[in-house]
Amino acid sequence: MTEQKPLLEARRVFKGFFGNPVLKGVDIALHPGRVHALLGENGAGKSTLINLLSGALQPDSGTISVDGKPVGRFSPAGARAAGIAVVQQELSLTADLSIAENIGLGAFPRRFGLIDYRALHRGVRDVCDMVGLTEPLDMPVADLALGRRQMVEIAKALFRKPRVLILDEPTSSLSAHEAGILARLIGTLRDRGTALLYISHRLNEVQALCAHVTVLKDGGVTADQSLAGIDGEGLVRLMVGRETGDLFPPRPAANPGATRISVENFSAGLVRDIGFSARAGEIVGIGGLVGQGQEDLLLGLYGAIPAKASKAEVSGKGALPAHVGEANAAGIVYVPADRKHEGLVLPHSIASNLILPSLGRLARGGFRDRGAEAGLIADLARRLTIKGDVARAVQALSGGNQQKVALAKWLPLDPSVLLLNDPTRGVDIETKREIYLMLRAFAAEGRLVILASSDTPELVHLCDRVVVLREGRVAASLSGAAISEEAIVGAAMGINTQGAAA
Amino acid sequence: MNAVKSLFRNPPLLTFLLVALVWLVASLTLRGFGAYGHLRYLLELAAVIGIAAAGQTLVILMGGIDLSVGAVITVTAILLPLISPAWDPTGLIGIVLALSIATGIGFLNGAGAAYLRVPPIIMTLAMATFLQGLLVIVAGGSAVTVSNPAVILLGQARPLGIPAGVILWLAVSAVVLLLIHRMPIGARFLALGANPLAARLSGVSVTRNTLILYALSGFFAGLAGILVLGMNRQGYVGIGDPYLLTSIAAVVLGGTSILGGRGTYAGTIPGAILLVTTTALITVVNASPGWRSIMFGTLILALLLISGREARR
Repeated sequence: MTEQKPLLEARRVFKGFFGNPVLKGVDIALHPGRVHALLGENGAGKSTLINLLSGALQPDSGTISVDGKPVGRFSPAGARAAGIAVVQQELSLTADLSIAENIGLGAFPRRFGLIDYRALHRGVRDVCDMVGLTEPLDMPVADLALGRRQMVEIAKALFRKPRVLILDEPTSSLSAHEAGILARLIGTLRDRGTALLYISHRLNEVQALCAHVTVLKDGGVTADQSLAGIDGEGLVRLMVGRETGDLFPPRPAANPGATRISVENFSAGLVRDIGFSARAGEIVGIGGLVGQGQEDLLLGLYGAIPAKASKAEVSGKGALPAHVGEANAAGIVYVPADRKHEGLVLPHSIASNLILPSLGRLARGGFRDRGAEAGLIADLARRLTIKGDVARAVQALSGGNQQKVALAKWLPLDPSVLLLNDPTRGVDIETKREIYLMLRAFAAEGRLVILASSDTPELVHLCDRVVVLREGRVAASLSGAAISEEAIVGAAMGINTQGAAA
Repeated sequence: MNAVKSLFRNPPLLTFLLVALVWLVASLTLRGFGAYGHLRYLLELAAVIGIAAAGQTLVILMGGIDLSVGAVITVTAILLPLISPAWDPTGLIGIVLALSIATGIGFLNGAGAAYLRVPPIIMTLAMATFLQGLLVIVAGGSAVTVSNPAVILLGQARPLGIPAGVILWLAVSAVVLLLIHRMPIGARFLALGANPLAARLSGVSVTRNTLILYALSGFFAGLAGILVLGMNRQGYVGIGDPYLLTSIAAVVLGGTSILGGRGTYAGTIPGAILLVTTTALITVVNASPGWRSIMFGTLILALLLISGREARR
């Protein structure tokens, strides 16, 4: 389209950490008015490249140029001054500050040396409207759901009127509705001449939004080309050099076993008075816009938050688990969405994390049996292909491998019910595939898998049944051929409520 | 180079080497410092701090803090002579009673933190204040002399030339190290300290472990109180006060993160010895006690900067 000179360009950049080369001579050029996709599996070097482009890190060699002029030492402040803004995948908001304060942070309008809140709110209003934030501007960010926080993060970047906007997996925590707002926003910015860099694991988004793609693999560029005429299959081939046909495992004929969970008038957190039941051997999807009670449904069944039901039958017991220990004892396990804060003890080793739920069972005479523990850890690492030394801190792992640890630690309990909250968020495509295969295998072994997901294709192609929640109630319960993206999204938005029975 | 790096990443060893260095230099330069009797005396003093800091280490590992350690030491030291029954020739019953009270106080701390959700720093501070008030009413201003034979034995006996208090400390160290590194509960404490939410969702009971932990802290503080009483032969209001901050300082000097989740009692042991050694040095060179506090502060910061920064990488 535009053959102007690039706004921001990296040429032959090298970067290594502690002797490990991460980027090996990467070129990328961001042009005004173009949405540029950056693809690559976890660990391919995407985050490092973003950090170089935004001044957070310095390249070991190679040049970064703005408007065609090489910049010497590129600092975050320098990058900001050059009009480069990044929406980070790790949310960088301060929970206790308000929406407006977070957006304006570092650039507060002042009056007599004090923050002029009226001017701040006026200035911030525009960008909030652009991203569809209708919450009061003085609301603390802590009170927002994850997806809304991501929108604040985007508004914060827009507030600086960037010429280059880098979006690092912006939609991983967004609902379909919010993702739609973002897609329109990206179109607007592009038409205004902003250069955009878009990182995402969701290939349909990349296809819909982006005009050009750079693919990173092991720190090198394997593709740098226009996206015109490339379909989803082609994109995946570019990324992994393999067809996607088998991203989702085949769904066997429905053959559900005994009822494992059955609750009536179940309430927990946002969930109010719903009926829900699921049987052994099923994968049941929980869909809906972000924050409609999906997480509370799982946590309530897990005994992690207070829950009540007029009648409950959970894993052979006639009552809801009173606490997590009771749930674990009954064979119910939970994999949280926020693996860094809820799923893993980040500073501890892979081994410590894997062994945590099994400590009591493996102990002999009150003492830990190191031999048995090491055997179990090695076995789990092998079964989930967790690579490398298990004595490393789990925070050193990529998102995909962290998720594998968060899941693997439960396997020794031989769980009969697996509750998973968005297990593939921010996970690379290869690991996604592994997780899908694993979940399908669990179901085939007669386990019940309940999967809350913000990824609609996942619900459609993986699940045997899908329950869509809206405002804490069941908006639709779909099975078989009735499961479609349209039906799920429609029910989530409250457009049609076909089959609203539990 | 690598050896130096791994040393900096091993705070217990770092603290231990620092102690050895100070002892070596002081013995060579100061007359009488290196005498066996003097070093033995230092260890005896360190034993009280070390035992009090055993519970503190556990609590800090789990991300809490126990500000009632000093008060519990005082309570034990004052109550034990009063509650030891005269008809018990061994004195063991009095010890069991006193330890039960100390453990009970710790348990109450845990209950406040676990059930009432009072932040540990507030809960234990309130407990300490409450106990101090109670003691003034019960004991008044006068000191209580101990006649319990078991306590006196603990404070004064030297089997094979080793003070009984040091032997007690060795036993405590063995138990605590086993607890942290060889028992499931130790791994649970560490997980709770590093990420309470993830630990809870992994099936680790916050309530149960909090109760156990603060009860243990009360128990070890009580044990330290009995030892102090035996060494002094007298209990009085304020006898435990010096051990509150020193117990925390010993933990931090040993490289345990004050935020929880990382550390070991193996560091607290040399930490406690380092504290009494600095005190002794100040006394020997006849400097103002003000220097003691200044050195404590400097040491804590310096060790934290050396080891903490490296470990964060």
